Amino acid sequence: MNSLLLLNGSPRGERSNSMKMMTRVAEGWVRGGGAQPEVLHLVRRAQFQRAVEAFAGADVVLLGMPLYTDAMPAVVNAYIEALAPRVEAARAGGANPTLAFLVQGGFPEAAHSRPLERYLKKLALRMGSHYAGTIVRGGGESLQAMPEEANRKLWARLKTLGEQLALDGRFGAVELKAVAGTERFSRFAVKLLSLACRIPIIQFYWNGMLKKNGAWERRFAAPYGAAFEG
Amino acid sequence: MRITILNGEPDAASPFQAYLETLANRLLVLEHAVTKLDLRALNLKGCTGCFGCWVKTPGECSKCDDSATVCRAVLDADLLLLASPMNMGFTTALLKRGADQMIQLIHPYFVVEGGEIHHRARYAHYPVFALLLGASPDSDAEDVEITRTMWGRMARNMKSRLAWSAVAEGNAEEVADELALVA
Repeated sequence: MNSLLLLNGSPRGERSNSMKMMTRVAEGWVRGGGAQPEVLHLVRRAQFQRAVEAFAGADVVLLGMPLYTDAMPAVVNAYIEALAPRVEAARAGGANPTLAFLVQGGFPEAAHSRPLERYLKKLALRMGSHYAGTIVRGGGESLQAMPEEANRKLWARLKTLGEQLALDGRFGAVELKAVAGTERFSRFAVKLLSLACRIPIIQFYWNGMLKKNGAWERRFAAPYGAAFEG
Repeated sequence: MRITILNGEPDAASPFQAYLETLANRLLVLEHAVTKLDLRALNLKGCTGCFGCWVKTPGECSKCDDSATVCRAVLDADLLLLASPMNMGFTTALLKRGADQMIQLIHPYFVVEGGEIHHRARYAHYPVFALLLGASPDSDAEDVEITRTMWGRMARNMKSRLAWSAVAEGNAEEVADELALVA
């Protein structure tokens, strides 16, 4: 396996958290002996089309995305629909590339992304592809706010996963678990978090942006109905 | 009961579209107030993850498109029926485009609900969710179950629950009668 098609399914495109993570996986892939990957952003119309055309010719496809309303973003959904002819091709004896995925969610727990992971695994089966695994990571939005240095461990692990993909054709279970971080909070942690969510400091990320944008006073706006008074 | 149908069928001439029309007409006969939005006819630019609807214009997407129409219709309902044919083991990208822009209906603040981190409600009332899937020879029971799970989680994040789901098979009027009992 040598060629990697790296597909960024984030609607944010080049500046996305998904792309930050996939860049490290790609670095590991090259370190493991893989060729420099072709990178395409599905949100760019021309690149979407190129991604459909290039799919069959790749040895490995890594499709990365943020979790959007508990599933793939619409642009990834559209891309998967565009691959329908490849299902027919596989049934007719044609080969499809190995499929690897990356899903990063805004919530801190990895558990939110597991149903999508299950779908993606089934997608690989549907395509007749070898399934290399899905990198799942919670708390993806914090990558925007954190300095690069703070993510050093995560970047190293993602590079290791990329290297494993190049060398073994799949992600290693130990590294996948380490990257996933918190799967679910313990009952004790849930109690602490329930209290913590009531103090403004926990919402500092959102409050900072609301204030910066002059929208703080309107933060509880409810333009389409009666506001929640919780 | 006020029922909003978000129709994610891209093909106006499909059997699923006809099935849905029959179902919607039956709901009208049963004296429900039905609002059916064919998403293919709307201008939905899609969510770009800018978070403007959370931190710049709270509660409203700043794109000039029809997402406000969708959001208003969703909140005006007691029951939200998400309708879509199955394609590649999931609902259509068209339905997802409409759903992605519904994040403006919730608040960015984090809360703990059911042992998980979720977002705070923005509104006092949200509709109960239902899901109608168009059968496809390419889809099996596992696909339906995975799809139901993902939309169930979406409903939960929208401060609601997925109370009903079905595959569009058999008599559409009988399915409508069943759906009418949900809310």
